[in-house]
Amino acid sequence: MSRPARNRWLIAGLGLIAAATVVVSAVVYHVPDPAISPALTHRTPDATRGEYIAVLGDCAFCHTETAGPSYAGGRAFSTPLGTIYSSNITPDRDTGIGAYTLADFVRVMRLGVKPDGTRLYPAMPYTAYAKVADEDLQDLFAYVQSDIAPLPVASRATHIPWPLSIRWPLALWNAAFHDDSRFVTDGSKDSQWNRGAYLVQGLAHCGTCHTPRGIFFEEKDLRGRSNLYLSGSGLDATSPINLRGNSGDGLGRWSTADIATLLKSGRSEHSAVTGTMADAVRHSTQYMTDQDVTSIAIYVKSLSPAPEHGRASFVASDSTMSTIMAGSERSPGGRIYLDSCAACHRLSGSGENSTFPTLAGNPSVLSSDPSSLIGVILEGGRVPSTAAAPSGLAMPGFGWRYSDADIAALATFTRSSWGNNAPPVTAAKVAGIRDQLRSGRPDH
Amino acid sequence: MSSNDGQTSRRDFLATTLALAPLAVTVVGQTAAQSINGEQLPSSSPAPDHPSVPDYRPSYFTSAEWAFINAACARIIPADEHGPGAVELGVPQYIDRQMGTPWADGGIWYMQGPFFAGAPEFGYQSQLTPKQQYRMGIKAIDTLCHERLNMPFVALTAAQQDDVLKQIEKGSLTSTELPLSTFFSGFLLRNVMEGYFGDPMYGGNKDMAAWKMIGYPGVRADYLEWVGQAKPYPYGPVSIYGKRG
Repeated sequence: MSRPARNRWLIAGLGLIAAATVVVSAVVYHVPDPAISPALTHRTPDATRGEYIAVLGDCAFCHTETAGPSYAGGRAFSTPLGTIYSSNITPDRDTGIGAYTLADFVRVMRLGVKPDGTRLYPAMPYTAYAKVADEDLQDLFAYVQSDIAPLPVASRATHIPWPLSIRWPLALWNAAFHDDSRFVTDGSKDSQWNRGAYLVQGLAHCGTCHTPRGIFFEEKDLRGRSNLYLSGSGLDATSPINLRGNSGDGLGRWSTADIATLLKSGRSEHSAVTGTMADAVRHSTQYMTDQDVTSIAIYVKSLSPAPEHGRASFVASDSTMSTIMAGSERSPGGRIYLDSCAACHRLSGSGENSTFPTLAGNPSVLSSDPSSLIGVILEGGRVPSTAAAPSGLAMPGFGWRYSDADIAALATFTRSSWGNNAPPVTAAKVAGIRDQLRSGRPDH
Repeated sequence: MSSNDGQTSRRDFLATTLALAPLAVTVVGQTAAQSINGEQLPSSSPAPDHPSVPDYRPSYFTSAEWAFINAACARIIPADEHGPGAVELGVPQYIDRQMGTPWADGGIWYMQGPFFAGAPEFGYQSQLTPKQQYRMGIKAIDTLCHERLNMPFVALTAAQQDDVLKQIEKGSLTSTELPLSTFFSGFLLRNVMEGYFGDPMYGGNKDMAAWKMIGYPGVRADYLEWVGQAKPYPYGPVSIYGKRG
């Protein structure tokens, strides 16, 4: 290459770097405008309504440490980068959000940016709260500022190693993946469907757990435009289920009433919730109005099946039961089921209505990712005690009793019996979940 | 009790109750918080698994006592055409291991006085701990055997041993040191049955052989589907640690 040509390339390269730096800086150091409707200044906020908005958004669970004071933060969340802690959202002026203006509050709720320009990690579901209407945020802000006691509790520092702890790249993440548009009413659907869609996509932030994520930890769909939305995910050592209309691992065989009952009581004819979903029912969905849980159920039931490729199927069959009753069950997993599970879940896999979950056709059993199934077998689980169903029934863990290979055989048996048809589970997968659950415990 | 006394004690009761009420609220509050916050599950794992071992060495019993325990176990449940005996299933190991538990020191009982010889329906009234029952009971039985037959219990023929144990059980043979029928029925016989039929994790019932003998299917807990079936239950037993016999 000749010298003038080389110089031209050098200059062009430097120019590109400079331009990129300008663009990046503009994105990174920009404290965005939260875009609140001017009409809000003439509206009187309703703190009582705001309290219900807080329930719909399940603010209390994440922003309260186990057995700690309400809304004072401190709950630990393990992320792929490291452990982060929720912040104090009481109206304390120094450690909480007492000094926030409505614009500051809306900015952090929709864009994940604090008044000083610090970016929040998207563990705070601002990607969902961006959908929430101005009036709802105004009322929520009024509730937080006037009805919650201010508590001086300093937020705990994150445990994320440098350089991953540098926060400005989150601005680029937001630019690439965040959709900060409001919820848009679908004129072709009725008001109840729209209410359900608004809640699911916004305050209830169902997609935070139930929508699959990409390699940058971004939810693959934030507003229900594709059939990947709410199609099941993998999070920590759990596998939130597919909520779409698939008849195997989804909610295709559930009625609207089944879904509403599960949200109100923590259990239904088909299943029961434990773990993170139990927390969601315990702190949020059980307190939703009947109309709101029904709206959510109507919207969820309207979701088309996710792509079937690689997913489980279910066609009820009594051959498993007949084999066991004939005394000819020989498979290692089947024998473990008979010894340790059948007393509650029954030989038919049908459990007992609203008491012991049905395993035949249960989405948690049939999930592409069997993590939640394995976790419940290893450590057990507890159904939340709710106003509609006060008994907090628990399943004991069996991790002490069986090896990884045993549990893999058992999980494989439950995924291939009574008409269930899902891929087998390996001992290595069980070993991985066992390690994750052990390291996730606070005493570790 | 005069009516005045009744008034006073009612007032005392009310005063005490009112004083305790805030405490009760606190305690209830804490309990609720513990069960509501997070997934605090009761631990479901049992005591460690200690099945019987072939070369067991006793840790409480002396060698003479250990010989007595083995001889008595062999007579209480001998091996016969129905099934294995207590010794083959590790029952002596079970009893020796029980001597290392809080139960053996009376640690789970009220063990303060007064000590009366109460009627049977009042339960165990002695100040002797299970450990003391075994130490004194074995010594007293051997003393009786020496007095009557000039040799220790273990040296007697099987028929003589049976006769001694039967007389002790009936109460026709006893000691001034302690009531031997209480030692026999309340401890030795009871512990032999526990070891023989209990879960193998405690050292007896080796390989669930006692369960297999009587057709007991172990700890599956529920057999509703088999109710009404006109044939024997088709699966062998399972233990607390999930092993199958």
